[in-house]
Amino acid sequence: MSVVAHLPRRTLSLTEEEADSPPAMHLTGRQRMTDADRSLSEEIYREFRGDHRHHDFVLGCLNCGECTTGCPAARFYDFSPREMLQIAQNGDATTLWDAMQEKIWACCQCYTCNMRCRFGNDIAGIISVMRELSVRHGIEATRRTLAPFNRSLTLLMTVGTQVSSDMIQPDFFRDWGPFATGSDKSWGVTPAIMRKAIPIDVLQTTTSSWEVSVQTSLELFRIYEETGVLDMLRGLDPDLTDMLIDIIEERREEFTEARERYRADLDRMQGPVATFSG
Amino acid sequence: MLNATQIRRVIEERTERRQGTGKKVVDVREEMDRLEEQGELIVHRVRAENRPVEMKTLFGWTKRIPTDRLWHHKSCGQCGNIPGYPSSLLWVMNETGREYLNEPHQTSCTAWNYHGTATSNPVALAAVAARNFHRAYETHHFPLIHCGTSFGDYKEMRKLLVENTEVRHKVREILRSMDRELVLPEEIVHYSEWVQAMAPEIVARQKVDASGVVATVHEPCHYYKMVPEDAVYDDAVYGGQRPAVPTGILLALGAKVADYSTWYDCCGFGFRHILSEREFSRSFANLRKIRPMVEEAHSDVAITSDTGCVTTLDKSQWIGRAHGQPYLLPVLSDIQFAALTMGAHPYKIAQLHWHAAPVDRLLDRLGIDWRSAKAEFLEYLQQLKSGAAPEVLHAPREEIERFFAINKGQVLPEEIREKPSTPVSPTLVEGRGPR
Repeated sequence: MSVVAHLPRRTLSLTEEEADSPPAMHLTGRQRMTDADRSLSEEIYREFRGDHRHHDFVLGCLNCGECTTGCPAARFYDFSPREMLQIAQNGDATTLWDAMQEKIWACCQCYTCNMRCRFGNDIAGIISVMRELSVRHGIEATRRTLAPFNRSLTLLMTVGTQVSSDMIQPDFFRDWGPFATGSDKSWGVTPAIMRKAIPIDVLQTTTSSWEVSVQTSLELFRIYEETGVLDMLRGLDPDLTDMLIDIIEERREEFTEARERYRADLDRMQGPVATFSG
Repeated sequence: MLNATQIRRVIEERTERRQGTGKKVVDVREEMDRLEEQGELIVHRVRAENRPVEMKTLFGWTKRIPTDRLWHHKSCGQCGNIPGYPSSLLWVMNETGREYLNEPHQTSCTAWNYHGTATSNPVALAAVAARNFHRAYETHHFPLIHCGTSFGDYKEMRKLLVENTEVRHKVREILRSMDRELVLPEEIVHYSEWVQAMAPEIVARQKVDASGVVATVHEPCHYYKMVPEDAVYDDAVYGGQRPAVPTGILLALGAKVADYSTWYDCCGFGFRHILSEREFSRSFANLRKIRPMVEEAHSDVAITSDTGCVTTLDKSQWIGRAHGQPYLLPVLSDIQFAALTMGAHPYKIAQLHWHAAPVDRLLDRLGIDWRSAKAEFLEYLQQLKSGAAPEVLHAPREEIERFFAINKGQVLPEEIREKPSTPVSPTLVEGRGPR
């Protein structure tokens, strides 16, 4: 097992030697990795080091700490972009696995570390690569971390926008106060009417950021199918994935019916609108 | 433990690698031209009909900002949560006589999701970008990106599509299956750059005196920390040491812009955090941004130019009262502020009722009669409730567009592929910018 330079060796997972002869004191939460986890961690590590972005994003590190000095997450979490970069550069399967349990999700993806890094490392980018791997392999900690995102993922996958006004429910966003949704009771009308008062027709909906045409959402779903995003999502949440496929099947039927209805208009047109089959 | 010689060798190896990676900053537009000549992609040029204005980027490169005939690449967060942001932009375009297309045939960039949950990958992100780029191209309108993250993501994806042959070919194959082509815009343009380019025309229509307002600016991270070489700078704004937008329009409108110590910090949005770990977002926003904006700069309003930043800085404040931080500093986008000074309705257009921090004091300071405007808006809501047709900024989409991305006769003529035209407007560096 290699040692991450200049960092205390304090992985969350017990090494095989430690597990056989436990040290006198453990860090909170340290536990022995199962054989399955150890095997998975080694597979993930191989994929991580083999990803072309590892070569492009990790250029070197002198431990200057500039990245961590400017990092918003480092102020509130046990997280440091310097540590992430050191793990990316010098870590092994165990240290990478440990980082994937929680730490990688502290990053704000603000790119402040990238801007400050004198080596030109893409630290936010390499953290994203770690995150992708944790999603693709359905790591349990990742499933827990992303559990609250089912609604926004559904929106994103089916219409390609991430927020709708009906997602900002007062009960869930109490900390935003009574005026955060633009539709508090003092206006005396429903949220749907408040949306109607936006002077842009495609925004006058409560269930999506804007109304997206069926063709557009089907084209987007084709991208997800072709690029392995659906497979990634299946690793994270198979039930959600099946539900998304059902929704899209309904939209495809709707599209086919509409194509019959508008056949005369579409026959006069050229380009994707004339040829896209759903 | 390594000895001194070994440590020196490690450092030398890293330095050599750093120099040998070839990771120097290059102008991706030059490579795009070369790939276009090889038939690998089409460059969507800024043309004379786009009435471009030249600006300078971080390294002094020229960036041509189209000001007319634009395709609105809306922001999912703005439209879902702060709709006065896009409505102010469209309203200012109407007021300044700009032609645009705002349609339902656009997806978001999906990068909020990527940066929040990583349930995507670069090929998917690049294909999403390219699909939107092609849609803009086939409608003969130049894409204008509303969101800072979309702007940053699209700059990254454009670089990726230019530099990575494998990704480019995969994306082209996906696009072909939809009868679309790989099109990359000559410029990736953030709406705040359009605002800056339009500063003289906005100021010419200014009706409200903004000189009594002290503003603090939050610079959106994804505007200038992602692909930094493509952000706009101007010697007249912070001596060219910080991005020119959105500060430039505030100065042009006569507002005072106050500095504060944490200007470089992010807002605390975090992509994932704003939805599922708001303890972090609100702590960071209040302690690192709002508090210094109020206590150091005594500002009347925080101005920024991105979706997540307006959301986080605005909505995080209410709970601050529970922690002895009763600031309630109004937070607006630059275009909402500009629209207000041009006489936009605070509720019908700027949609200020979607903001959590009260804006009444700011409107009083600007001399805007918000009480009458609010009464008028309440009456309008009752009319809508009774079934009245909503007022809209542009013609609504056709019924067929609920299903199909129709072309309305916009199929491109061959001349789109002609070389770029000469800008018709003077440049910022020649004195067009705010003074």
